[in-house]
Amino acid sequence: MRVGLVCPYSFDAPGGVQFHIRDLAEHLIGHGHHVSVLAPADEDTEVPDYLVSVGGAVPVRYNGSVARLSFGPAVSARTARWLATGAFDVVHIHEPFAPSVGMIALRRSEAPVVATFHSAQERSRALQVAYPLVRPGLEQISARIAVSEDARRTVVEHLGGDAVVIPNGVNTRYFADATPNPAWQGTPERPTLAFLGRLDEPRKGLQVLMAAVPAIRARYPGLRVLVAGRGDLAAATAQLGEHAAAVEELGAISDAEKAALFASVDAYIAPQTGGESFGIVLVEAMSAGTSVIASDLNAFRRVLDDGGSGFLFSTGDPASLADTVLRTLGDPAERGRRRAHAETAVRRFDWDEVAARILDVYAMVTAHGSQPSTGWLRRLFGPRSAP
Amino acid sequence: MTPAEIALLVLAALVVIVLALSSVARRLDRLHRRETRSRATLEAQLVHRAEAATALTESDLLDPASALILAEAGWRAAVTAPRLLGEDGADAAEERGLAESELTRALRAALGPAADQEQWATTPESSQLLARLATASYRVQLARRFHNDAVVQIRRIRRNLLVRFFHLAGRAPLPQTFEMDDELTVLDPSSGTSPSSAG
Repeated sequence: MRVGLVCPYSFDAPGGVQFHIRDLAEHLIGHGHHVSVLAPADEDTEVPDYLVSVGGAVPVRYNGSVARLSFGPAVSARTARWLATGAFDVVHIHEPFAPSVGMIALRRSEAPVVATFHSAQERSRALQVAYPLVRPGLEQISARIAVSEDARRTVVEHLGGDAVVIPNGVNTRYFADATPNPAWQGTPERPTLAFLGRLDEPRKGLQVLMAAVPAIRARYPGLRVLVAGRGDLAAATAQLGEHAAAVEELGAISDAEKAALFASVDAYIAPQTGGESFGIVLVEAMSAGTSVIASDLNAFRRVLDDGGSGFLFSTGDPASLADTVLRTLGDPAERGRRRAHAETAVRRFDWDEVAARILDVYAMVTAHGSQPSTGWLRRLFGPRSAP
Repeated sequence: MTPAEIALLVLAALVVIVLALSSVARRLDRLHRRETRSRATLEAQLVHRAEAATALTESDLLDPASALILAEAGWRAAVTAPRLLGEDGADAAEERGLAESELTRALRAALGPAADQEQWATTPESSQLLARLATASYRVQLARRFHNDAVVQIRRIRRNLLVRFFHLAGRAPLPQTFEMDDELTVLDPSSGTSPSSAG
């Protein structure tokens, strides 16, 4: 099958959507499909050979954070050329209503369009404003996919209609096979906790974890909190005083280091306060075999099977977090039980499973795809045809 | 303003109106073509599902009573119930939907809850039959959702008074959503999960 994937966000600063598209593309190619990815990327950014750049991206404030998007006549022309030369059986556009290359591809594609919605929001101003403009584009989409129940609700509320839920994929085996790093492994006296994410983005919740550190240290004076991610750690630990000694900075880490970190620590803490639609990091941590302690956001509840494969605490509440951490560290038997459940629960997020479901969707929109157009004038004035 | 200028303005306004109307007509045409395709896909997937169910009855996996009921329901859905591609419209679709719902219920009763379905996947052949049914029923859920999505969009546009007044939908019949009970959880032994539960 010839598949064209369209990514609205720039590959210069890859994030969740870009990784999803990269993994999907590589998985489909591995299964013998022809795949081309159209995305913004600067000339000096190193990109895989299946990626076609529409040119550089402009940082724009969109949907509550700054995204690097591409638009304009040159982008439009390049998109048209990509569609024409690609001769795709299906065009799969991610976040089609981000004002970027996806929106352009949507209007120009002759092939059946599949769209994946990644973001979840209570009330998306961006979508509300865009609604009248995107209406005709919406009709071009033959199949809608949402990556989570929350993303699906966002689609239903803002666009009407429905979407099928197909979760994000994770290379679970990559994380399951990771080798632990002894430097990050905890002992009963010196347990290790891990945090991963932008340090200066309040939504990622580092401040919640930091506020919980003193209470955890009261029981475990040797506690080590390993903080990985870009940002200014000194600012985050300024309030902690002597407890700052428990916090170790890892800085930005590679994928391999991330897998090793999850395979090593006693628990991974996900204190996010909102804006999470899925929680792919939780699945990665579960795959690597660590216990997951997460805020009880809807998205996290679902990934953790309502606490069946991890531990939940009240979102944004440091006391509840400290409590949950102490409970988790103090009960190895329960931890083992939930980890065992997690091990089977993550299988539904594996790329093998996820890509097969996406291919099912492709099959449904292409099955009778190449029907010649009779022309709209004939429908208006021609003889009555079979329905 | 001279009469010539007025005539020019009127002409320009007419051109704009005609362009706007034809753009709606074109949108509708595109949607109707999408709906025809999605209906054909749905029809094909329903038949696949009925065949997968019938294949299950031909194995000696099920008890004879379940097999008989399932075979009967499969036969009705795949052969005797009206097709979705004919011109009979709403009544036919409704009758077909009832037949398909009955097949779903027969499958639910014959297979039992997903948690208990491990017992069927004892041989490679039976695992294969279950996997085939799991895929087919998941695809029916997909196809039906995508089809109804197209129908809802067409009906919304066609409710518009201007669209009705100018007959912008031409002679295309008003499509109907396809209603059936497709809630079916089949354990797919090849992946250890049940895709149809998350549809």
